[in-house]
Amino acid sequence: MPERDHGLTRRRVLGIGGALGLVATTGLSTAAALARRPSSTGAELRSAVPLPPPFQVPLPIPAVLPPVSTDGGVDRYVITQREAEAEILPGLRTPLWTYEGVFPGPTIESRRGRPVVVTHRNELPVPTVVHLHGGRTPAASDGYPTDLVLPARHATSHTGHGMHDPRAVVTEVTRDYAFPLDQRPTLLWYHDHRMDFTAPAIWRGLAGLHVVRDDAEDALGLPSGPRELPLVIADRAFAADGGLAYPSLDPTLSERPGVQDRYFAGVLGDVILVNGAPWPVHEVDAARYRLRLLNASNARHYELEAVTDDGRRLDLVQVGADQGLLAEPVAHRALPTAPAERYDVVIDFAGTRVGDRVRLVNRLGSGRARDVMAFRVARRAVDDSRVPRVLSTDLPTWRQADAVRVRDFSFRAGRTHGGHGWLVGGLPFDPARTDVTTGLGDVEVWRLVADVHHPVHLHLVGFRVLSRGGRPPLPHDAGLKDTLSLRPGEAAEIITRFDGYRGRYLFHCHNAEHEDLGMMANIEVV
Amino acid sequence: MAARLGSVAAHRTEWVFRALVSAHVVAIVGQPVFAGAYLTGDYDSLRWHAVGADVVTSVGYLQLIAAIVVRFRLRRSGPLVATAAVVVAETVQYFAGLDGALWLHVPLGVMTVAALVVQFVVVWRQSLVREAVDA
Ligand SMILES: [Cu+2]
Repeated sequence: MPERDHGLTRRRVLGIGGALGLVATTGLSTAAALARRPSSTGAELRSAVPLPPPFQVPLPIPAVLPPVSTDGGVDRYVITQREAEAEILPGLRTPLWTYEGVFPGPTIESRRGRPVVVTHRNELPVPTVVHLHGGRTPAASDGYPTDLVLPARHATSHTGHGMHDPRAVVTEVTRDYAFPLDQRPTLLWYHDHRMDFTAPAIWRGLAGLHVVRDDAEDALGLPSGPRELPLVIADRAFAADGGLAYPSLDPTLSERPGVQDRYFAGVLGDVILVNGAPWPVHEVDAARYRLRLLNASNARHYELEAVTDDGRRLDLVQVGADQGLLAEPVAHRALPTAPAERYDVVIDFAGTRVGDRVRLVNRLGSGRARDVMAFRVARRAVDDSRVPRVLSTDLPTWRQADAVRVRDFSFRAGRTHGGHGWLVGGLPFDPARTDVTTGLGDVEVWRLVADVHHPVHLHLVGFRVLSRGGRPPLPHDAGLKDTLSLRPGEAAEIITRFDGYRGRYLFHCHNAEHEDLGMMANIEVV
Repeated sequence: MAARLGSVAAHRTEWVFRALVSAHVVAIVGQPVFAGAYLTGDYDSLRWHAVGADVVTSVGYLQLIAAIVVRFRLRRSGPLVATAAVVVAETVQYFAGLDGALWLHVPLGVMTVAALVVQFVVVWRQSLVREAVDA
């Protein structure tokens, strides 16, 4: 009789099995309900003011800054960092920290190999330091987080951060940043990089574009002039008084770094700004446009998709990455974009009708954060632009066998001096510790592992992606990059050559909150 | 007819099944070990986790075949039901891992390990053959 089995009745066996099955089902359903799908890292800050409807305000284009001098083969610029007010949401005045009174800051247009010197004058209430993201810059002008420019109004020499750095070069009120710009043409951006307070400083407005061009790129025939649009995408949240909301522990951004615990993994805003305007709209010809995309958000990721109102998707044809032109174009239906990444894409409105609207949406966003901006097709037009099959032939061709060493780094949460924070290779940032020493000209393979989303950025150099999760890179990993988006539990192998300049540089997570909470490390090029 | 199978063949069937369940437990316990090491930044552990996934899944399918043999030779269907459930879970688990769906991958992995441990205890605690021989 199979009625008794190991002293258990069949009924009891079924009972135990059923109970365990129920526990398992409950567990997995709970996981499905609690999980963020799509996954995201950070917490959303809600605005306390009514938000305007999307696609009403015209897209502003950041003004190009005129040089104060072009003598001696050097373009010289002066930028004053100061407080200003702007009407970002209709009818509200928003105090900002700005470069030259505008947000985003003015755009610097430069030519490959022609040096630029920018004199920054600090009229803000706190110390600042400027980093040109993606720039191949000597260490003295790379904006190391402790190389502070103390403000005019500063009473004491207190620099606002807790860590002593004997190598810091601190200046009073002004500093000249010299950029040789001996690098591939691309879209760079400059932003504040002060120790412990980078995230709130960028949030308050300290970010602007810097374009590098050359004759070879100009000769390609890509869309240009009014058909080349820089798009600085950034999320923000607004307080009841119209100011930007941000969960700083110290709202003066002078003494105590960090954010309220809920925002430990990153601050997400519920208003999407493009070039400083909320969900703007731009009138376009039925022709090709070159979109120079920058995700200038602190923590928000986007997966951008161009959709017509009748549901058709337009291809985003990628022609360039963080560090310039790809070898050949790559067509995307949807384009993932992590903080600090740049994508150079061509979109063709030729297949649309006059009057059509094409929305740029974020497939990772929910609610109001799903919309980004829109294009309104205003007229038919001739289009003599093109997207050549071959875009560039100068991409580095480093192979794994060229590497003189391989390094592994984990990017994960953990304990820091002050509590919990974010670690690189198990350690929180310390300006006095050299994490990586490499020889000028050395080729290295780095293997990076993440616990949650971490957009990993290397100063000084561009790199190529060799693999993701042990498999070939994704389509948007093409070309030369300086920021790599790692997703939860993901690993990637990158290869680079440390050339250009000797000195102390950073690599770090470009989730700005993570970076402020320890997720940076030093590279010494010797 | 199956119940009248020679006791040597019956025992061999049972031992093959037990051996596969045991190997399966050993293989699957390696998976969280490699996953943990990987998340500390040990990149090579990712490869071991991937190799481990292939091994675990393969042993799972062998165990499924053995469970089918047990079902027909020894007329016990419990092992087949349990093994089928584990193999389904492991297959889902495999693709959840490849897709980076950690919300599913992590809890399902823990549950699969627990299920296999229970199965290990059950198959070693008492013979499957007893009933067939006694009958
Ligand atoms: Cu990070």
